[in-house]
Amino acid sequence: MKKIVEIALGIVTSVGGFLEIGSIATAAQAGADFSFQLIWAIVLGGLCIIFLVEQAGRFSAVSGRTIPDAIRERFGFNYFAFLYLVLALVSLLVLAAEIGGVCIALELATGITFQWWTVPAALLIWLVMWKGTFGIIEKGVSMLGLVTLSFVAGAFIIHPPWSQVVRGALPSLPHHDSVHYWFVAVSILGATISPYLYFFYSSGAIEDEWKETHVGINRIIATGGMTFGSVISIAVLVLAAMIFAPAGVKVEHYTQLPQLLVPVFGYWGYWLLVASVGISCLGAALEITLQMAYLTAQGFGWNWSESQPPHAEARFAAAYTVTIILAALVTITGIDPLTITIFSMALTAATLPVSIVPFLFLMNDYSYVRVYRNGWFSNAVVIVIIGIAFILAVVSIPLQIFGGS
Amino acid sequence: MNLVRDCLDKQIDDRSKRRMGRVDGIVLEIEPGRPPRVAYVELGVKTLMNRLSSRLGTALAKLLESRHIESAPYRIPWGKIKVGLNTVHADVEAEKTPALEWELWLRKKVIGRIPGA
Repeated sequence: MKKIVEIALGIVTSVGGFLEIGSIATAAQAGADFSFQLIWAIVLGGLCIIFLVEQAGRFSAVSGRTIPDAIRERFGFNYFAFLYLVLALVSLLVLAAEIGGVCIALELATGITFQWWTVPAALLIWLVMWKGTFGIIEKGVSMLGLVTLSFVAGAFIIHPPWSQVVRGALPSLPHHDSVHYWFVAVSILGATISPYLYFFYSSGAIEDEWKETHVGINRIIATGGMTFGSVISIAVLVLAAMIFAPAGVKVEHYTQLPQLLVPVFGYWGYWLLVASVGISCLGAALEITLQMAYLTAQGFGWNWSESQPPHAEARFAAAYTVTIILAALVTITGIDPLTITIFSMALTAATLPVSIVPFLFLMNDYSYVRVYRNGWFSNAVVIVIIGIAFILAVVSIPLQIFGGS
Repeated sequence: MNLVRDCLDKQIDDRSKRRMGRVDGIVLEIEPGRPPRVAYVELGVKTLMNRLSSRLGTALAKLLESRHIESAPYRIPWGKIKVGLNTVHADVEAEKTPALEWELWLRKKVIGRIPGA
């Protein structure tokens, strides 16, 4: 019974951070512009992230090390410094987008322009980090995030043509706007295969004191959690395909998002949307902030744990404080959060190889993972994911330039 | 032992198993007519910057010295180092070494002063 509770809790918490402003925005854009045709991108991204998260969890459970720890150790400081700079840039932009998401939810709730909410939202994130423990962030916010199941309920209630939904899960060539189609596909993959997800999961396994005995549970949690998250993303796409696409609505601003749930749930749909966006963005913002602090502390060998009081690990506390301030400075400029989101998703896609290539080496290193090394199948999958990551890295910026609007 | 594989960039724990940093550099002593000898492991941002580029290391050292901040890396004699599997143990007390200077300064002057720390 205890194990079932642990697995259920693990699945719910691993969804926290999966569904965030990037996945909501890109799925809504895909549904509005291409109906059900881009569901395959969420399925493909979901499959990739399941394998990466499972491997990150297995690595940490067996070796007692996080993936960034081992990257510094096995690939040296110069590679780590490059990875750190790339991830810091991407994470700051994604965090700025998530803070923007929280602010947009507050704007929708109060009518006060989102920029005014930047400082209170950043303070709230900092306060949860300052006073909260890893358990509160991991479990508390993720539990609240279950409100995003309203997208799934809405997708069922609206009765989509299921044959078209299933057909959309198979890759197909675009019928119109080819460049934009591929740009949205790349953005979805960038939003789904987020480095902070597998790095955070790896650190979480250490925070939760996972051991070799957790290898089986990790597999179930990683698969269940990431599948669960993908289903919610698909639900957002289905709603957009059913509501926005027939009306010819383009997703150009976040204030259009309530229309995803209002036609299904009426008045309460508006508030469900506000809660879903606000809570999922808050959860993702906390995870990204924490991940930046973990990455910094692990790379430089400092003491780290979110469950310790700030004075006990002053550099760790300083790292997340500075991260929040820098990201809030981007949000407060007033750049449209949707623009930051779409740009940061494409940038994430462009930088994926840097964080994924090390998996192939680390997951086969006997000194870390011993008998739990990757088999031929897992290695083949990682090679395929690396291939996808390189294609995304090459095409994402040109697509951003030519198909981003 | 392969120094780069088994020691460089590994986490260093002190005698009470507190994380005190990583092995940022390894210092070899070369005397004429004798084989090279491992003398110290180094911890410090200047050593790290030197690994990226010697110009960067020199520029950082100048910047720190202009602000009267010690730029020399902290050296631990090799005799106090024990290399394990993916870990390095130092027979020192981290809080009494320059390795935690910044941590203690931040704790005392900044983080520790914020309510709730």
